[in-house]
Amino acid sequence: MNPRKLFDIALKDLLVVGKDRGSWILLLITPLAIIMVASFALGPAFSGQLKSELLVTNHDPGQAAAELVSRLGGMEGLSVVTAGDEETTSLTIGDERYKAGLVIPADFTARVMSGQDTKLLVYVDPTDNVNRPFMVGMIDGIASRMSGIVASVRVAVEEVQKFAPQTDVNAVVADAVPMATKQMSANPPVDTEISNATGLQEVNMFDTQVPGYSVMFLLFGVMLGAEMLLEERDKGTLGRLMVAPVSRSSILGGKLVAQFVIAMAQMTILFSVGHFVFGMNLGNSLPGLVLIIAVTAFTATAGGLLLASVVRTRRQATSLGTLIVILMSALGGSWWPLSIVPGFMLVIGHFTINAWALDGINALIIKGQGFSAILIPAGVLFIYGAVCFAIGLKMFRFRGA
Amino acid sequence: MAGPIVIAENLVKRFDKLTAVDGVSFTIEEGWIYGFLGPNGAGKSTTISMLSTYLDPTAGDAVIDGFSVAREANRVKRIIGFVPQDIALYPTLTAAQNLKFYGKMYGMRGPGLDNRCREMLELVELWDRRDDRVETFSGGMKRRINMAAGLLHHPRFLLLDEPTVGVDPQSREHIFETIFKIRESGTTILYTTHYMEEVELLCDYIAIVDKGKMIAQGTLKQLLAMLGEGGVIELEVAPPGCPAELVDRISRESGVTGVKHENEQLLVSSSNAAHSLPPVMRVLEEQGCEVSSLEIYSPNLERLFIHLTGKELRE
Repeated sequence: MNPRKLFDIALKDLLVVGKDRGSWILLLITPLAIIMVASFALGPAFSGQLKSELLVTNHDPGQAAAELVSRLGGMEGLSVVTAGDEETTSLTIGDERYKAGLVIPADFTARVMSGQDTKLLVYVDPTDNVNRPFMVGMIDGIASRMSGIVASVRVAVEEVQKFAPQTDVNAVVADAVPMATKQMSANPPVDTEISNATGLQEVNMFDTQVPGYSVMFLLFGVMLGAEMLLEERDKGTLGRLMVAPVSRSSILGGKLVAQFVIAMAQMTILFSVGHFVFGMNLGNSLPGLVLIIAVTAFTATAGGLLLASVVRTRRQATSLGTLIVILMSALGGSWWPLSIVPGFMLVIGHFTINAWALDGINALIIKGQGFSAILIPAGVLFIYGAVCFAIGLKMFRFRGA
Repeated sequence: MAGPIVIAENLVKRFDKLTAVDGVSFTIEEGWIYGFLGPNGAGKSTTISMLSTYLDPTAGDAVIDGFSVAREANRVKRIIGFVPQDIALYPTLTAAQNLKFYGKMYGMRGPGLDNRCREMLELVELWDRRDDRVETFSGGMKRRINMAAGLLHHPRFLLLDEPTVGVDPQSREHIFETIFKIRESGTTILYTTHYMEEVELLCDYIAIVDKGKMIAQGTLKQLLAMLGEGGVIELEVAPPGCPAELVDRISRESGVTGVKHENEQLLVSSSNAAHSLPPVMRVLEEQGCEVSSLEIYSPNLERLFIHLTGKELRE
């Protein structure tokens, strides 16, 4: 191997990619555009800033109904809008704005205060599996709490009536419920305190989106590298190099070095834009971040060589490469966090480059862990890359069919 | 002549069941332009690929300037220049960037490389386009840069694989001029083509190949003599299938150098076709043969190829 010629080949490849607008679009512009779209679209929902709107038709002018509406309006992430009639409520649910509708019957207060059963009618969008459980849970929770207060007050008053038979239970209940409600709101006997788990910190959407999509487009980038390698073979430039006094290891080495440099530059630019433009957190260990990115770039480069080795044509490289990148991204957590997938999918996901890369990156950026946290993911990725590299080197055909 | 620079002996190349080159042997003297003429698929490019070290021979060997292509490929690579049939250039790079890159692959650096790039760009008359991307060039211009890239390192032996495919007549002229200049500089050239007029114009020595075999080789004059120096009389006679006696009688006529017949076709080679025609016609008449068509032509490589293979060169 001649390092100088290897360097010249790498430099030439960098020049070729640098002059190709299509490469710039695939490597940088597309991932940045997708990161921005995904972050701005999903950011409010994931950060809790997005309020789901509840359309309420209240037929009851009474105190309990007013209390119910007031409590719903005070819930985090929920906004109450009053509707005139039940039909409008029913018809409007399912459009882009209202996530659920609530109809409070005219005798709601009277029945609640007298301890009689009553029903709230909730209209939901059966196709909305994200908001429906949240809205129903909110309404159910508040209704249950109100029922609990009324029931406990009624039980207390009925106990009092045993010693003071002249007591008007309904009147006392009607007076006591608002007081009990106020008391429970001011000083609830069972309250919850929300705290971040150890080491975890608040994240913005870019903290998850930038790494996920960067790894995905890193893989698309090396797929492009595999296509370029095959293009050189098809168009005869690789053949011309083979009849020049250049070793095959210098030829392939130069091309892989160029691909690695492109991958590193791509990740560096995407993370820099994420940090300086969108405020993405880079974690507490910059050396750790650089190492996990470098190992990911190495593994992806080796994967690209393997791809170029197993296919016969550029078309096959594009088709198979796209399939692999998309599957790896979906399985490996580039599109959604692996914490939400079932256990067996988590196992399958860890056959991908994405999962191990994101395990390492997320440990630094999201969990705020230190350098040692990336050692296992980096080690697995390195072994993964070394295996791909060895197979790719063995199988690559310098000559076309 | 300084002696042979290439000696190929019994070169064979097989791809699975296909034998692309089947026992080809030839010698190229230093300073020659050696033409390899044959139809597509004849084995020209495969032969040139073996000489360039791109392909390993299945059997046989070729020695270039004393080095074996089979055993000393790295030494051979420094002696040869290869201009492939494909435009093996990087289209998004400029002409100068392409040449400098290939020059570096031959260990050239610095001002020496810069000067040589300039020489080559001037040789192919593209110095003024040196900073333009190759993708903006015409087909002929790309072929000229393709050729320049193979010449950068002063090769003693240049392999040109169909360098005029798909170019316009003006660019073809440019390429021919360049080839003559290269020969003047002392470089030996192996030139493959399926255009007979190119080998007639350019080559000192010509090999005709078909189906992986070399079917004839010699100077143009030697090859054409196989048809008869004074021309060929081609006749269609009835009834088909001339008797041996007829062929024998025609062969003995004045000036006739060869007779070949197949079905209705009768080919008579002669040192003077016009002079030989009357006695040939008389013999045919005496034998009761009816002539339905008659053509007299000067010998050329196309006719020779048909004569040797029974098919046209461009089939």
